[in-house]
Amino acid sequence: MRGRGAYLAAKIGWALLTLALVIIFNFVLFRILPGDPARSVAHDPRISPETVAALTARFGLDKPLFFNFSGGNPFDSQFFAYVGQLAQGDLGVSYNFRDRPVVNMLGDGMVNTLWLILPANVLAIIIGTLAGLVAAWRRGTAIDAGALAIGLILWAVPTFFMGIILLFLGAAWFDLPTGGRQTIGAQYAGFWDAAYDLGRHLLMPTLTFTLVLLGEYLLIMRSSVVEVFSEDYILTAKAKGLSTFRVIRDHALRNAMLPMVTVIALNLGFIVSGAIQIESVFSWPGLGQLTVNAVRERDYPVLQGAFLLLAVAVVLANLAAELLYGWLDPRVREA
Amino acid sequence: MTAVVQASAPAVTGLVVQRGFLARLIRRPMGAIGLGMLVVAVLVAIFAAFLAPYNPYVHPHVTIEDVYQPPTAAHLLGTDDGGNDVLSALIYGARVSLIVGFAASLMTVLIGGTIGLVAGYRGGWVSTVLMRFTDFTLVIPDLALQIVIVAIVGPSLLIIILVIGGLGWTSAARLVRSQTLSVRERMFVLRARAIGAGDLHIVWRHVLPQILPLMLATMVLAVSLAILAESSLAFIGLGDPTVISWGQMLNFAFSRGAVSAGAWWALLPPGLAIVWVVLGTTLLGTALEDVLNPRLKRHHLERDRSVRVTEPEGMSWLRAEPARKDAPLLRVRGLTVEFDSPAGPQRAVHDASFDVRRGETLGLVGESACGKTTTVLGLLRLLPPGGSVTAGQVLFDGEDLMALPESDLRAVRGKRASIVFQGAMNALNPVHPVGDQVAEVIRIHEPEVGRKVAEQRARELLERVGIGRRRYGDYPHAYSGGMRQRAMIAIALACRPDLIVADEPTTALDVMIQAQILELLGGLSREFGMATILVTHDLGVVAQVCDRVVVMYGGRVVEDSPTPRLFADPQHPYTRLLLASFPDVLHPERPLQSIPGSPPRLDAMPPGCPFAPRCPAAFDRCSTIKPPAYDLGDGRRAACLLVEPSHTPPEAVHG
Repeated sequence: MRGRGAYLAAKIGWALLTLALVIIFNFVLFRILPGDPARSVAHDPRISPETVAALTARFGLDKPLFFNFSGGNPFDSQFFAYVGQLAQGDLGVSYNFRDRPVVNMLGDGMVNTLWLILPANVLAIIIGTLAGLVAAWRRGTAIDAGALAIGLILWAVPTFFMGIILLFLGAAWFDLPTGGRQTIGAQYAGFWDAAYDLGRHLLMPTLTFTLVLLGEYLLIMRSSVVEVFSEDYILTAKAKGLSTFRVIRDHALRNAMLPMVTVIALNLGFIVSGAIQIESVFSWPGLGQLTVNAVRERDYPVLQGAFLLLAVAVVLANLAAELLYGWLDPRVREA
Repeated sequence: MTAVVQASAPAVTGLVVQRGFLARLIRRPMGAIGLGMLVVAVLVAIFAAFLAPYNPYVHPHVTIEDVYQPPTAAHLLGTDDGGNDVLSALIYGARVSLIVGFAASLMTVLIGGTIGLVAGYRGGWVSTVLMRFTDFTLVIPDLALQIVIVAIVGPSLLIIILVIGGLGWTSAARLVRSQTLSVRERMFVLRARAIGAGDLHIVWRHVLPQILPLMLATMVLAVSLAILAESSLAFIGLGDPTVISWGQMLNFAFSRGAVSAGAWWALLPPGLAIVWVVLGTTLLGTALEDVLNPRLKRHHLERDRSVRVTEPEGMSWLRAEPARKDAPLLRVRGLTVEFDSPAGPQRAVHDASFDVRRGETLGLVGESACGKTTTVLGLLRLLPPGGSVTAGQVLFDGEDLMALPESDLRAVRGKRASIVFQGAMNALNPVHPVGDQVAEVIRIHEPEVGRKVAEQRARELLERVGIGRRRYGDYPHAYSGGMRQRAMIAIALACRPDLIVADEPTTALDVMIQAQILELLGGLSREFGMATILVTHDLGVVAQVCDRVVVMYGGRVVEDSPTPRLFADPQHPYTRLLLASFPDVLHPERPLQSIPGSPPRLDAMPPGCPFAPRCPAAFDRCSTIKPPAYDLGDGRRAACLLVEPSHTPPEAVHG
C-alpha cells in the first residue's frame, strides 16, 4: 500500500536526519566545552608548550573546526576528519589508555551493559504490563489501590538508592557479592561454574533495574487499559458474546499496548541514566562506568564515543517503536 | 515521532480554573497526601535552622570514635563518615533538594511552555521546526549529557539547576502545544482575532489563562524529576561540594564504607527523604492533572453486579406458565435499572414490562433521557459502567436472562439476541479489519465452521448490508459513518439471531442514509424472521415498520399498544403530545406542538406521575400517585389515572 511505504520512508528519513544531527551535536559539544584535551592528556599544567603542540598535532586539534578556508582542501578540518573516521568505525583511541581503541572499550562496555539492561527490561515489561492490566481490570478495588501505591513508590525511589538497599540486603542475607562482574581471581571449574558466578553478580543489579522500571510501566499500562476498557468497541466485543479473557486478549491488549510501546522506546534515555547509576553502585564494568570514568579523566574520545553510542541507540529504539506502532495501529500507517 | 506526541498528549478539553479548585484537589486522597508531604518538606527546609540540633556547615573537632556512631540521644540518627550528625544534615539537605527541584522545574516550564505555546499558536513551519527540535532533544540521554556538562563546567548549584532545567523541558513543550492547539480554535480566541486583537494580546489574555493550570500540574511533576536528577548527579559525585544535599550524603556514605560498617542510619534517611519529596510531588501533580482532566473511573469490564433475585411482586404466575409455542419470544417483567452516583443509587428504569413476539417489530419511543437505551441495554446486561439491573425478569424463550450465569448469557449475546448500538463511530475496533470483526462473531458461536467459511460468510454479510465484499480487509478508519453502521448491522445479523435490538441505529447519519439503513434492517428482519426492538425518536419510522409501540417516560412504560391503535387513539396524554409534536403527512396543515419543559432528571423524580408537572390534563391526585399500567383490553395498556377503571373525570366531581 502506498500509505504504508510512505510511512516507512518518512520514519526512516527522520531517523537518518536525527542521526546526522546527533553526530554534529556530538562533535560540537566536545569542541565548545572548556578544558583543553591536550592538557588533560598531560595531567600537568606546567607542561612545556612544545609537548602541548606535539600532542595537539597528534590528535589533529590544530586543524580548523568545520571548513578549511585558508586554502587547500576545504574539507581538511576536524569535523570531516571525525566523520571520515566514524565511517570506518574508528572512534579514535583513548587519551588515557593510549593503545586501546575506543571502539573496543565501548564494545566491551556495551556487552556488559546489555547483560544488565535486557533481562531487567524484559522482566519489567512483562510484570508491569500484567500488573497494570489486572489493576485496571479490578479498578477501584483493593488490588487496584495496592498496585497504584506500589507503582508510585517504586517510581519515587531513586535508582541508586534502590541499588544500595538491595546491595545491602543481598550481602547481609544471601551473602551475594557487592560489586563487579566476577569474583576477583576466581578459577572456574567449567562453564556452569562461571555462569553461576556471573549470575550471583547479576542478581541484585538486575532486580534493582527491574523494580525501578516496573513502577512506571505499571502506572502507564494501568491508565492505558482503563481508557481502552471504556471504549465502545469493548462493549461491542461483549455484546458479541466474547468471554472477558477474549475481550482483553483480542480487543483490549493491542490498543492498550500502543502507549506502552512509545514509553518503552522513550524510556531508553531513562534506562541509560539508570544503567549509569546501577553500574556505579555495583561497580559493574559497563558503558555507564566507562562514561563516569571518562568524565573524571577528561578522556574525550571515550566520552564522545560513549555519548554517540547512547544517542544512536535511542534514535534506533525510537525508530523501532515507530515502526512497531505503525504495525500495531493501522490508523497511523495509513493516515 | 508524531505518534509519540499523539499517544502522550491527553485529550484535554476546556480547562478553566474554577472556584473550589483547591477544595477539589484536597478532596482527592492523592492530592491531600501529596500536598501534606510537600508542605512538611517545605516547612523543614524553611525552619532548618530551628529544627536541626547541630549546624552541619560548622564542623566540630571529631575523633575516629565519632565516625558512623549508631543512633543515640545526642545523635538521633547517628553520625556519618565525618562524625557529623545525620539528622542535621538531613534537615538542611531539604533546602538543596527543594531549591534545585523548584528552580529547575520553573525553568523547564518556562522553556517548554514558551516553545509549546509558540508552536501551538503559530502552527505551520514554526511548529514543525520547534517540535522537531523537541524530538531531537528527547533523543539526547539526559543524565549522560548532564554528567558531561557538570563535570567539565564544574559542579555549582547554579550549573546543576541550569543543566537539569535546560534538558527536561521536552514533555512540557508537547503538553502545552497540544493544549494550545485546542484553545486556539475556541470561540473566544476566534472572536478576539476577528476584532483585530494582536497575537501577543490574544496569547496573554486568552490563551495563557487557559493553559496555566496544565502548566502548573506539569511543573509540579517536573519538580519530582528534577529532584531525582539532582540526587543522581550528586550520588555520582557531581553535586555542589559546598552544600549538603541528600544525594551527596548518600554518595559520601556509600563510597566511604557505610555498607561494610553496617551504618544503615547514614544511608536510609537521606534515601527515604528523597522518596518522601518525590512521592509527595508526584501525588500532588497526578491529583492536579486529575482535577483538570478527570480520568475515567469506570469501564465496561467491571464485575456485573446485577442482582439475580429477580422475581417481581405479583408475577409468580409467570414461572408456572409452561413455555408454549405461541408464548412471546421476549417477556420483560418489572425491569428496574439503577446507576451508582455519589448521592446514592439513581433509578433510571422503573418496573418496565412489555412483550415481543417472534418476528414482531417493537418500537420503543420517547424523548431523550426517558430510559429507552438503558432498558434495552439492561435486557442483555450490557449496561454502562455503574449501572445494574436491580429487579425484574427478562424471559427470553422461557429463560430468565437476569438469572443466567455470565457464561450462559454469553451464548445468547451475539448468537440468539444481538444489538446494534447507538452511534457506531467507535463501536468497531480500530486495529482489526472490519471483515475480521464480522467473522469473529461467527467463529465464536459456531466454532465448527472454521476460519475459511466464517470469512466467506462475513464477506456475504458485507455484501448484504451494502458494503461490498472487497472492503473486508479495510480498517474502520477507512469506512464512513454510514458504512460503520452497516458493518455493525452485519455483525448483529451474522448468526441469524431470533432477536435484534437496534438502539437508534440512525442517529448521526444523514437523512438519505437513515432511510437506507432502516429499510435494510426492516427487510432483513422480515427475511430472517427476526423479532426486532427499534429504539427511536422518529414516529414516522415507527408508523412504517413497527407492529407494536411502547412509549416510555421518566424511566417508565407509560403506554403499550399496537401501532395503528396508538396513532388512531392514544391513551396517555404524553403519547398524545408526542404525536402532536410530529409532522403528519396526511394532515400537513396541522400546526406542530412542542411539549413544554423537559423530562425529569434521575435525581429529581416527581413524587407522583413523572409526567404530571408537564401534563396539561394533570389533576390533584397525579402529583401524589404513581399510576400503574391499566390494562385497557385489545393488547393496550396505559399508566395514567385518566384511564383508571374507577376514574371519574374531575369535572364530574365538581358538577
